[in-house]
Amino acid sequence: MPAPQVDSSAELVRRACQGDMGAFEDLYRQHIGRVYGLCLRMTGQPESAEDLAQDTFVSAWRSLPGYEGRSSFSTWLHRIAVNAVLARRRSPQGRNEISMTEDSGEQMDFEAEGRMDEATPIDVERAIASLPPGARDIVVLHGIYGYSHEEAAGMLGVAIGTCKAQLHRARHLMRARMGTEHAT
Amino acid sequence: MSTLPFGPRNPPEDPLLAKAAELPKDVVPQRDLWPTIAARIAEAGASPAKPVFRWPLALAAAFLVASVSALLTWSLLRDPQQANPPVIAEASTAGVEFVPVRYGPNSGVSATELAARDSLLVEFKSAFATLQPETRDAIAKNLAVMQRAADEIDAALAKDPASGMLQGMLAGTYKQELNLYSTVVTARDGLTRRT
Repeated sequence: MPAPQVDSSAELVRRACQGDMGAFEDLYRQHIGRVYGLCLRMTGQPESAEDLAQDTFVSAWRSLPGYEGRSSFSTWLHRIAVNAVLARRRSPQGRNEISMTEDSGEQMDFEAEGRMDEATPIDVERAIASLPPGARDIVVLHGIYGYSHEEAAGMLGVAIGTCKAQLHRARHLMRARMGTEHAT
Repeated sequence: MSTLPFGPRNPPEDPLLAKAAELPKDVVPQRDLWPTIAARIAEAGASPAKPVFRWPLALAAAFLVASVSALLTWSLLRDPQQANPPVIAEASTAGVEFVPVRYGPNSGVSATELAARDSLLVEFKSAFATLQPETRDAIAKNLAVMQRAADEIDAALAKDPASGMLQGMLAGTYKQELNLYSTVVTARDGLTRRT
């Protein structure tokens, strides 16, 4: 049983709620890496990820008084980030960006780089980036950031069964693309 | 630094997921994003927004969507021999038009979901043209209610973007919209087979 964790953000959140921008900047410094990492992995586009990370923190500032501490501040921020990513995908600009990876499961330039023989961390990162959006989302949230299927489904606004099916699909695609179909 | 845990709470059985769990959680952006964020916050006002509780409105709208849709579903699926025929096979282009629900910038309805709806809309449009004017009117009013719900929930999400409950309500509205289209298409197909 893991030891209970303490959210060191609590005091900073309290001060930021009172309009302390310095405290909010500290929160930004604490969390930008994870927020940007999540956005980058969900979009595959560094520029979009920067925009979305900015949107996330601006939204978080506006919504701070509504944060009741029922989830950790990190999880709350991640929910905002996921919503921002999903909203962007729905936009005309986002639809163009999605063309990087088609939902058919094909990836445009992945094959040109050749198959990878071993599942090194970098190979896994590339394989995740090559996944279609729905499958990629669940691998990022569940596989990398450790959210349960229930949590990931809640964030993505889909059924838990859909999450599990997408994860199954993602694993299959990743194995095929990494040439490890029979190695696991 | 935050002390919150990241990575799966239980070690994944799949080696690929185990590798994914080992990836660094933090990725540093190439530039400092704070100056832009600070400027945007300053533009919007120095203090965080006071919470605006729009949930009751959003809840009411969502409830209304469910109620009205259920009534319309009953109207469409009841036996045409026992009541005024809800649908007819004769095509008509006159009368009421419908407007699909537009989801706002905070809604998070994905491009994939919208594409699925667009695909269903193709069939729905042809079925809609064969409906009685009063049925078409009921559908248009249903969609207007759904639009209102989507707008309310989107506005609430703008104030509380992390709310899973609001996201769930919005997803429910999207499903109701799809159910409406699907019900009409199914009813049309059923009547076509019977007649």
